[in-house]
Formats: sequence, structure tokens, C-alpha cells
Amino acid sequence: MGTMKKRLLNLLLISVLTGSALAACSNNNNDPKESADPAATTDSSQAPAETTAFSDISPTIRGNKTPTQEQMDEVNNTLNDTYLGDLYDEKIPSHYDAYPYKKDVTLDVWLPADSQIPDMNNQVVQKQVEKLTGIKVNFITPPVGQEADAFTLMMSSGELPDIVIEPERYPGGLEAGVKDGAYLDLTDYMDKFAPNYSEWRNSDELRRKTTVTDSGKLLGFYSIAPYSEWMWFGMLIKKEALEKTGLEVPTTMEEWHTFLTKAKEVGYSEPLNYGSTYGQIFTGIINGAYGVWDWTFMDADGKVQWGPAQPQAKDYLATMQQWNKEGLLNKDWATADFNQRMASAISDKTAAMMDSPDTMWSYWKQQNNIDFVGALNPVLNAGDKAASTYKNFKRTGRSAAITTQADDVEAAMRWLDFAYSKKGWEILNYGEYGKVHLVDETGKPYFQLDSYIYKDPDGQPVATTLVKYRMHSWPDIRDEHNSNPLIVAEGSYSGDIRKYWTENTDTSVAMPPITFTTEEASREAELGNQLSTLRGEYFAKIIKGQLPVDAYDKFLSEAKKMGLDEFLSIHQAALDRYNAR
Amino acid sequence: MRTGQIIKKDVRKNWFVYLLAVPVIAWFVIFCYGPMWGLLIAFKDFKPLLGFSNSDWVGLKHFIDFFEGPYFWRVVKNTLLLNVWGLAFGFTAPIILALMLNEIRDGKFKKLVQTITYMPHFISLVVVCGMIHIFTADEGVITQLLQLITGKDYTSLLGYSNFFRPIYTFSDIWQTIGWSSIIYLAAMSSIDSTLYEAADMDGIGRLKKMWHITLPQISPVIIILFIFAVGGIMASSYEKIILLYNPLTYDRADVIASYVYRRGLREASLSYSTAVGLISALVNFALLWVTNKIASRKSEVSLW
Repeated sequence: MGTMKKRLLNLLLISVLTGSALAACSNNNNDPKESADPAATTDSSQAPAETTAFSDISPTIRGNKTPTQEQMDEVNNTLNDTYLGDLYDEKIPSHYDAYPYKKDVTLDVWLPADSQIPDMNNQVVQKQVEKLTGIKVNFITPPVGQEADAFTLMMSSGELPDIVIEPERYPGGLEAGVKDGAYLDLTDYMDKFAPNYSEWRNSDELRRKTTVTDSGKLLGFYSIAPYSEWMWFGMLIKKEALEKTGLEVPTTMEEWHTFLTKAKEVGYSEPLNYGSTYGQIFTGIINGAYGVWDWTFMDADGKVQWGPAQPQAKDYLATMQQWNKEGLLNKDWATADFNQRMASAISDKTAAMMDSPDTMWSYWKQQNNIDFVGALNPVLNAGDKAASTYKNFKRTGRSAAITTQADDVEAAMRWLDFAYSKKGWEILNYGEYGKVHLVDETGKPYFQLDSYIYKDPDGQPVATTLVKYRMHSWPDIRDEHNSNPLIVAEGSYSGDIRKYWTENTDTSVAMPPITFTTEEASREAELGNQLSTLRGEYFAKIIKGQLPVDAYDKFLSEAKKMGLDEFLSIHQAALDRYNAR
Repeated sequence: MRTGQIIKKDVRKNWFVYLLAVPVIAWFVIFCYGPMWGLLIAFKDFKPLLGFSNSDWVGLKHFIDFFEGPYFWRVVKNTLLLNVWGLAFGFTAPIILALMLNEIRDGKFKKLVQTITYMPHFISLVVVCGMIHIFTADEGVITQLLQLITGKDYTSLLGYSNFFRPIYTFSDIWQTIGWSSIIYLAAMSSIDSTLYEAADMDGIGRLKKMWHITLPQISPVIIILFIFAVGGIMASSYEKIILLYNPLTYDRADVIASYVYRRGLREASLSYSTAVGLISALVNFALLWVTNKIASRKSEVSLW
């Protein structure tokens, strides 16, 4: 071709290459664009929040299945919360005096990006909160996957935003962050500037204890729930497996053995999917029957003990080694990754899984129409109560801290505090009224069948809409049981299974969320890593049959030599401090 | 002429070339030598917010923590051995491939083989590890092949610690052999063909030609690349290890980087990982220096 054409072609190729290289450099600090969402910008009915009492609109809103635009505006654009009921033992606070905030403030909030939310500054819930509180927010999100580096850089540069979400990223946790001057100690400001949060956390002993430090300081805003959330992990059995074997759901280890052996006979070649490389083999489900918990637990005297060192460990290991030899476990339990494990699960090899019902709802039921039931953790003797070291202490989800460089500390606290008000609870968990949720006769918000969460106008699945139209994990009053669309969807029984497990499991051995001092933390990490490596190796090899059960004695002596006692004493000290809070 | 005068003359004549080199030199100074003082955080309890000067000095604490750990010798041994395997097999394989490709006369076939062998280079590591998981699974292709050959029964191969090094090394070779052979082929293409003609006249066979002509002619390239390879012996990219290992294979697969990674999951300590990295770098440098010394003695080729 002619030289001119060749030149043009070369130029084009070079610009394409350069363009694609530069495209990768674009950062995520987009300027907050104006949202084009019409519902959010209806201006006519933006009544400024008055400190006087609102008119009670519950008769018109509660039970209303087809609200008018005017009713929706009244609910979405004002701080009126009279239609919301008091659903929990403790009342959700309703302090709105501070809104709309007296000054014109824009807060810089740093948070890790959610790959499902392209731009947090345009997320509908956040925009609604902005409108109701009168506080503008600029979200700063690092590119997905680079949060750790971005956080370290932010700290090193010394230029901090006003608020940091997931402040525990600071090495040593929140306490270290406050000590080093990154975050503010909020203890003196809490009652004054965060009335909703203070009232909510103080209304329950667990909420109070898990949100204060050992020394009695209040350092951040935590995601705290009205109830202990259900267990989310346990034994799940395919319904057809029960039918084919003709057996009941097993409860004792012996019954489980009978069930699994029978399952193998009727065609499930690897009846129990026991684990994978991401650590499922130690989840307390089976080993708990022997008291050989995965890690630390609290014994009957309230003392910290280490599961792998318990007296019945050899029995547990011998049983599992036997089961492995009999071919009752999936052959690749030590090496399978997530995809291999799910592939086994939906094949005819597996009859039972140790996993989360929410996950299996998707893989078993939704994708392959396999029904399943939940079984309680096995016990040794008939009549024993199933136990678990998993317990939700009413505090889960993301938290927030205010940095020492916040210009307007009150504004930052007021903005965070809104999430703990009744209105905040409604919007953050249930999204916008009308399009996303309605309110029933008792004043309880719920997702209607044609809610945007289930029928997204953009056609996105529930896994995406649950973060698109609501806040899934946020420093707020977390209402997972009632507002997670996956749990409350019609026909979904994963929530029922989780509820059944939680109500029938003894969690007195569960350790509360203790914290270590900076001096202890380093030593704990060192010892913890060593003990975890030791246990992982020995237990896996024994169960696999590569080592005899008696190798356990060597394991125990090595663990003691490594410093097991020192490890336990560090944990005990932390537990004592927690109890004294 | 004194050195200064020689340099001045050269700069005046070839100023453009020197100008091109300036950004490169600047990059090394700013990003490699400049930050080197930061290694000192290995001796401190570094907290990013406090900055360097305000963080506590802890001396050799991190180093002692690392040395005294019960797994120290094991992870060091595994790191070294894994890299020795890499050197023994992974370094020689591309050379052998290049030698073989060099003998092919058919241009089309040669190009085909080259393209096929260097395509795996572009596959992401995570995908390769996913493939390894599938191929070495219970019913995986490689597992079944092994059972066929040895007549013994095997379950998932990643569960046997003595298979870890072969799997790791040979999947590495599969991925990099084509790409690495390019540089050797390039070196071979610049060999004076009269040497081969002279050998033909003497009636020397193919293999002998490879041994006496080709290899010696590309030996400078081999030696330089070998010195580089030795310089990396105490390092290991931990991503592949973490994707392939599991508690059953810790005793062979757990290397320094993966051990420190698990430690970092419990307590992110920049100082600790810097300390460990510093030790590895020092050992690497020592070995590099020794290898270079030997190379400069035995041949005329060396890095410095």
C-alpha cells in the first residue's frame, strides 16, 4: 500500500496502543455527577425538616400497597417516620434535630469500592441520605483490588479525608490508629453529636460492650443489629438423598456414619463434601461433636482453651481417618478450590455439604433445582445439644472512624449518626419507599413482589440489586434478617435453615470479639501463624492417612514447645479485659 | 587521553544517545536508589502515619522473630530447593528448545512451533493454576496418565507433597519455555555461518556442531542470564505457591513468601515483611556476587 496509507495505519495503531495504555491509568476519583434519577430530584415537595412533631401519616402509609407520588414524596423527602413501627425489643431512636445540617458542608469519605457499584457518589441511597441530612458527601474509592495499597499510601501521605470506612485496616486496628494520630477519640463527643448511635448502642448490653474499647473509649461507629444474626454455616443435605436412603436427618455421629454409608450404597460415590483449600475442614461442624474446636473457645469456667489440644482429639482424628478410608468424603477435600467444590456439589457424587445455605440456594436450588434441608451439627451422644463456636455478637459489617483532619467533626458525626435513626434504618436497609419497599400494617418495611430489588429496570440480578438499592454492609442499624432480599425472597428457605440452626444450637463456647494491645498483637500474630500451620499440616495428614493417629502426640508436644501456653495467656488477658468493659 | 577527556569527546559526538539514557538513569536513581534508605524500617516498628522518624526503633527484633520461628529452616530450604529445581530444569529447557528449533529448516513448521510454545506465556497465572487444579484432580488428565504409567492409584495430585516441586516446576516450564527461548534463538541467528560451513567440511555431525559451535557461541548470553537467575534464588513469587499449596503440602511448598503472607493476614506489619525481604535480598546478592566472580574467572563473560 502507498506510503501515506502505511503512515496513517501506523499512526492509528500507535494511538490505539497508547490510548488503551492510558485508559488503564484513569483513577476513580470522579466528581460527583448530578443524578438523573427523577424521583430523587422532585423539588416541589422538599419540606425542610422542622423540629416540631410531624403529623402522623401512618394511617395512609401503613398497609398501603399503591402509594401515590405525593405519598411517596412525603416519605422519601421528609424526616417524618411516624408510619414506622417499633419492631424490636429496643426502640430505634428518632433524633432529627440536627437535620438539615446548619452549615453547608461536604465530607470526604474514603471507602473500598464494591465492584458491583460503579460510582458510590451516584448510589441512590446515599443521595437520599444527603438530601435528608443536608450534608453533602464526596466518596473517594480506590480501584478495586488496590484497597490495601491505597490505604497505606493515604496514611503515609498524611492527607486524610474526613471519614474512613473500614478503619480497622490501620495496622493494629482502631486503637492503634487513634494512638498514632490518624483517628479521633470520639468518647467526649458521642452523647452530644451522635444521639441516635449512643441511644441505640446503649440499649443493649452486647451492643454496648462490642462497640467500646477495653479502656472504655468510643472510637468509631459500628454496624450493630437489633438481634444476633443467624449462623450462616452448617450441614446441608440434598432432599433426594434422604428420600433415596429412606433415612431421617442424622443427629449423632453414628447416625451420620450410617446415613453416609447408605448414601454411598445408593449411588452417591463421595457422599460428604468435606472441604477444600479454603479451609472448610475446620469449621467446628463435625469436630465440635468431640469438643475439638477449630481454634480458641471458652470452656465452662470461662477460660480460653485451644480446640486442637482437647482430650478427644484423637477420637475425632481416628473417626475422620476411618471415614476417609471408607470413601465417605470427597477425595479432593484437601485440594479442591471453590469451583471444583461447587462442581462436586451439583454432581451426583455429593449427598451432603458443609456450607452456607445462601450459597447453596444459588448453586443447588436456583441453578439446578436441587432442594435441600439443614441439619444441626452432629453430637456424640443422642440427646446432646448441638454446639458451635460461631456466635454473632450483634456487631458485624463495616464500621467508620473520623480522622484527625476532619474539618467539621460535628458534621461528620451527624452524618454517620443519621444511619441509627428510624428513618436511617428504613432507608439504608430497605431503600426508597415506593419503588423499592412498602410498609405493612404493623409499620414494618418489606420488599413488594415487583420491587426494583427483584425486578430491576436495568435487568440486574438480586446479587447486584442488594447493594444497588440498599446498603448491605454499612455502619448503621443492620437488619439482615428482614432486609436481605436473598433471605426474604418468596420461596427462599435459606433464611429458615439459618434460623433453625441458630435457635437449636448452643453457643456458650463462642469467644466474644476481643482485642489485643499493640504489644500483644505482634506476638499473637507470630504464635497464631505457627500454631495454625502446625495444626493444618498434622490434622490434614492424619485424616488423609499419610500419618498415623498417634502422630497427634507429637503434634501436641510440638505445639506446647512453640508456645501454646503463652498464646492462651494472651487470649485470656484480652478476654478478661473484654468482660470488664 | 585521560578518561575525562575521552568521555567529554564522546558526549559531544553522541549527545543524543546520552540524552536518551538520561530518563532511564533518572528512573533508577529516583525509584530504586532513592528509596533504599527505606530499608531501615526493617529495624523499626513502622507505622505509616507516624512516619519514619517517629516510629519506634526495635533493632533486630523482626529478624530474630523470623530466625527463631520453628519453621524458619523449612521455609528457607523450600525456597532454595524450589529455585534450584527451577534453575536445573527451568533454565536449561529453553536452551534445549532453542537448539532444537535452530535445526528446523522448514520455516512454516518452525514458526508454528514457536507460536504454540510461547502462547502460554500470555495466560494469566490464576488461569494457569485453575487449569493445574483441574488437570491434577481425581479424574484429571495428568492424574490418569500417571496412574496408567505407574499402575498405582492416585487421588488429587496436589495433595502429595513430593509432587509439588515437579508440578510447580514443569508447569512453569510449560508456560515460559517458548518465551524464554526467543533470546537464545536471537543469539543463535547471529552466529557466523562460516563456522558451520567449516564444520560441514570436516564432516562433523549435528549434535557435535551444537556442542562445539552453537553453545559456545551463545555462551555469553547463557552466562549472563544464569547470573541473573541465581540472583533471584531466594525470592519466589508467592502467588503461584498460594494458589497451588494446601496444608498437606506445606512441608515442601511453604516458602518464605507464603509463610510471611499468612503472617501478614493476622497482623499487617510493613516492618516484618521488609526485614524478611532484606534478608532474602542480601542472600541473593551474596550468591550473585559469588556466581559473577566464578564466571569472570572461568570465562570472559560476567556482569561486572
